[in-house]
Amino acid sequence: MKKTNRILTILIFIFLYIPMAVLIVASFNTGKDIANFEGFTLHRYVELFQDAHLLQLLRNSLVVSIISTVVATTFGTVAAVGIHNLKPRMRKVVMSLTNIPMTNPDIVTGVSLSLLFVFVGTRMLGQRDALTFWTLLIAHITFNLPYVILNVMPKLQQMDNSLTDAAMDLGCTPLQAFFKVTLHEIMPGIVSGAIMAFTMSLDDFVISYFVSGLDFVTLPVEIYSYTKKPIQPKVYAMFTLLFLLIFVLMVAMNLLQIRADRNKTVRRSKVETKAMRTFRRVAAGALACVLLVISGYLIFFAKPQEQITLNVYNWGQYIADGSDDSMEVIREFETRYPHIKVNYSTYDSNEIMYSKLSNGGITVDVIIPSDYMIARLISEDMLLPLDFDNIPNYQYIDESFRNTSYDPENRYSVPYTWGTVGILYNTKYVDEADVTGWEVLWNEKYAGKILMFGNSRDAFGIAQYLLGYDVNTTDKAELQACADKLLAQKPVLQQYVMDEIFATMQNEEAWIAPYYAGDCLTMMGENENLAFYLPESQGFNLFIDAMCIPTCAKEKEAAELFINFLCDPEIAGANMDWICYSTPLSAAKDYMDPETVFDPVSYPSDEILAHGSSYAYLPEDISRYVEGLFMEVRNG
Amino acid sequence: MKKNNAILLSTPYILWMLAFTLIPLGVVAYYALTDPATGVFSLGNLRDLNMYWGVLWESILYSLISAFICLLLGYPVAYFIAHQGAVAQKILYMLVMLPMCMSFLLRTLAWVGLLQDTGIINDFLEMIGIGRMQLIRTPGAVVLGMVYNYLPYMILPLYSTIVKINPRLIEAAEDLGCNTVQVFRRVTLPLSVPGILSGITMVFVPAVSTFYISQKLGGTDTVLIGDVIERQFKQGNNPNLGAALSLVLMILVFVCTGIMNRFGADEEGGVIA
Repeated sequence: MKKTNRILTILIFIFLYIPMAVLIVASFNTGKDIANFEGFTLHRYVELFQDAHLLQLLRNSLVVSIISTVVATTFGTVAAVGIHNLKPRMRKVVMSLTNIPMTNPDIVTGVSLSLLFVFVGTRMLGQRDALTFWTLLIAHITFNLPYVILNVMPKLQQMDNSLTDAAMDLGCTPLQAFFKVTLHEIMPGIVSGAIMAFTMSLDDFVISYFVSGLDFVTLPVEIYSYTKKPIQPKVYAMFTLLFLLIFVLMVAMNLLQIRADRNKTVRRSKVETKAMRTFRRVAAGALACVLLVISGYLIFFAKPQEQITLNVYNWGQYIADGSDDSMEVIREFETRYPHIKVNYSTYDSNEIMYSKLSNGGITVDVIIPSDYMIARLISEDMLLPLDFDNIPNYQYIDESFRNTSYDPENRYSVPYTWGTVGILYNTKYVDEADVTGWEVLWNEKYAGKILMFGNSRDAFGIAQYLLGYDVNTTDKAELQACADKLLAQKPVLQQYVMDEIFATMQNEEAWIAPYYAGDCLTMMGENENLAFYLPESQGFNLFIDAMCIPTCAKEKEAAELFINFLCDPEIAGANMDWICYSTPLSAAKDYMDPETVFDPVSYPSDEILAHGSSYAYLPEDISRYVEGLFMEVRNG
Repeated sequence: MKKNNAILLSTPYILWMLAFTLIPLGVVAYYALTDPATGVFSLGNLRDLNMYWGVLWESILYSLISAFICLLLGYPVAYFIAHQGAVAQKILYMLVMLPMCMSFLLRTLAWVGLLQDTGIINDFLEMIGIGRMQLIRTPGAVVLGMVYNYLPYMILPLYSTIVKINPRLIEAAEDLGCNTVQVFRRVTLPLSVPGILSGITMVFVPAVSTFYISQKLGGTDTVLIGDVIERQFKQGNNPNLGAALSLVLMILVFVCTGIMNRFGADEEGGVIA
C-alpha cells in the first residue's frame, strides 16, 4: 500500500509538471510551434528583454499586486482585530460577508464589479473611462482582503488574551500592547495572508479580464489574447524565468523556515536582545518603505508626464509589428512623434469591439472597424466627425474608396484596407475537386478538420451566400433558415475561431476554413500547403476596414495624426507588405513588394470583384436578433 | 472601550465589503431584470435562461466528475505527503503549490500542444505504431484540464487535515486489533472528512465557472456556463442576459457550498484550509 502510494504520488507530480516542462522546452525552440521542436536557441530570451510592451505588462502586474497586497494586508489586519472583538453574532455576520468573494466564482465577482464600476462611473458620474487602474486596484484589494482576514483570524483566536491584559497592567497603552504583543503573536498569519494575496493577485486572470479597461492591462489578461493569436515564443521565455524566480523564492522561504524552526528548538529560552529587536524592526520597516517607494515610483513617475497616451484598438495581426524584418509601425510613429505614446490593444471581431465600446467604461482614440460596423456606429452616434485638415494624406486615398455606402459624405472614416472573404484549405489533405464553393465547409469527409467564423456577421454571411439569400436581409424567416444551416454545420466543425485560425491552420491541426484574404496570404506564407479559393459564382463578402475616432476618445488630434501617419504611402506600403491585406492607396504600391502588388488573391480582377457584395448596416433590432441566433447556434 | 474600538476598527472594512461585494451583486440583479435594448424592467432575460439549463447541467456534471477524480488522485498524494518527515513535507507541499502560482492560461495552452491531433502525444503514439487518436476537443479533455488545474486545490486542504490527525488514535485502533484497511476506514477517513469537503468545494467552484479550459480543450459541443457568460459580455453585447446567467451560477454555487458546509459544519471560514 505504501509503495503504490509512493508510485502514484510520483506519477501525479509528473502529471502536474509535464505541461510546465513543455513550456520551458518551448522557450528554447527555434521554431514557433510548441509541439514541434526544431532546434535549440537562447534568442527568445533576448527578444523578451527587447520587448518593451511585455516588460511594461509585467510591471503593471507587479504594481497592482504589490499595492493591493500592502493595502489589503494592513487594512485586513486592522479589520481582523476589530472583528475579533465584535460580539459573536455580529462577528458571524461579518465573516459571512468576508466569505462572499471566497465562495463566489471568479467570473461572477468579475462581472459584478465591472457592472458596478460602469454603472457608477458612466451612468452616475458621467465619466468616459470608468475602468482604470484604480478600479482594477479596488477589485484586487477586494478579493485579497478575505485571504488576509481568514489567515489572521485563527491566530487571534489562538492568542491568549491575558497577554495583552498583562501588557496593559504593566503600563502599556492599548496601542502599545497591540504593537508589542498582539502583532508579534499574529505575525505568521499576516505573512501567510500577504503571500497568498500576492500570488492570487499576480496570477489573477478572470476578475481582471472583466474589470480592466484598455489603458491599464495586467500580464495575464494580455496573455489571454496572446493565446488566441499564434503565440510568440518569447512568452514561453518569460514563463520560464517567472517559474525559476518563484521556485527560488519558495525554496528560500522554506529553507529559512526550516532553519528558524531548528533555532527555535535549540534556544527557546534565550530572550531576543534589544539590539536584535531593533534590527528586526528597522529591517521590516525598511523593506516596507522600499516596497512603497518602488510601487509609488512605478505608478507616478515611470511614465513621463508630458506624454500623451493614444489608445489604439485594432484587430489582431493587423499592423506590422517588426517581426519577419517588417517595419514596426507603432515604434516608427512614436519615434516621429516623441510626445505621443501608443497604447495598442486588439480585438477579434467587430462585434467584440462594439461590445467593449457600448458596454462603456473605456476610452479609445482610434478604432478600425469594417464597413457595416461603421454604419452602425454612425447611426448610433458613436463616432466623431474627422477634421481632414489634420489628415492631409487623405489625398492619396483612391477615388473608388471615397463616398462609400457606409460613410457617404466621407465624414467619419479613412479607409485602411479592403479585401475579400474566401476559403483557405490545405492541399495536402483536401481534394481540390471538393473545393467548389461554400458547401465544402459542410463536407462530412473533413469532419473535425473544418473551422468556422466565430463572429455572427461573417458566419451568417456564408450561410446567406450558400442559401442564395441577400446578405443584408432583414427577413427573420431567412435569418432563421441561416441559423438552422449553421447549426447543421456544427457536427463537422472543429472549432469556431477568429485569431486562433493562424496557429491551427499553420500547424495543420485544421484543414479548411473561411477567412479574410489578407490573413490567408499571411498563413500561406507560413505554410506552403495552404491555398485560397474564392467562390465567385455563389458570391463572397467584399469589405473595407476604415479608421475612425469613437466618441469616447480623449486625444482627437493625436488620433488624427496617427490616422494621417498610416495613410503616408511609404508607411502604408511597408504595413501592407506585412499584413497582406489590399491597400486603398495606389500610391502605396510603389513602396510594396512587387509580388504582392500583382497577387490575384489580394487584388482580384474587377470582373471577379463584381461577384462580391458588402455587408450593410442592419437595423438595431435585426443586429440583436442575428447576434441572439448566433449565440443559440454556438450554445445549443 | 474595547467594544468601541472593535466597531471603530471593523466598520471601514464592513463598508468596503458592502460596497464592493454586496452592492455589485445588487447591480447584477438590476441588469438581470432590465431589458438590454430599452433598459426598462423586464423578465425577458429570465425567460431566456430556459435555453441554458442544459448548459448549466453539463457544467455541473463536468465539475462534479472532476472534483471526484481530484479526490481519488489527491487523497493518496496528500496521505503520502502527510506521512513524510518534516523537511520532506515542506518540500512536497511547496511542489504542489508551485504550479498554482504559474499562469494557468499558459499551462492549459501547453495541454493543447500535448493533446492536439498534431500534438506531442499523438506524434509519439504514431511513432510507436499505435496511430493518432482524437484526444483534444472531447469531454475527456475538458475534465483532464479541470483535474490538472484544480488538483492542488484538493491536495492542500486534504494534507492539512490528514497531517493533524493524532497518531495516537491510529495506534489505539491498531492496539485494539484493527488491520491497516480497518484503521483507514474507521479512523483516518472519517477524520479527514472536513478536508475532503473543503477540497471538493475548492475544485468544484472554479471548475463549474471556467471558460478558458472549455474554450481551449473542448469541442464545439462542450459549452459550459462560463463560456456563455463570457460570450454574452464580450461578444454578444448582451450584459443583461449575462448578468442573469451569473446570478443563476452564483445561486447554484451558494446552494452547493451551503450543502457542503452543512455536512462539515465548521465554525467560521470553512472554505480556506
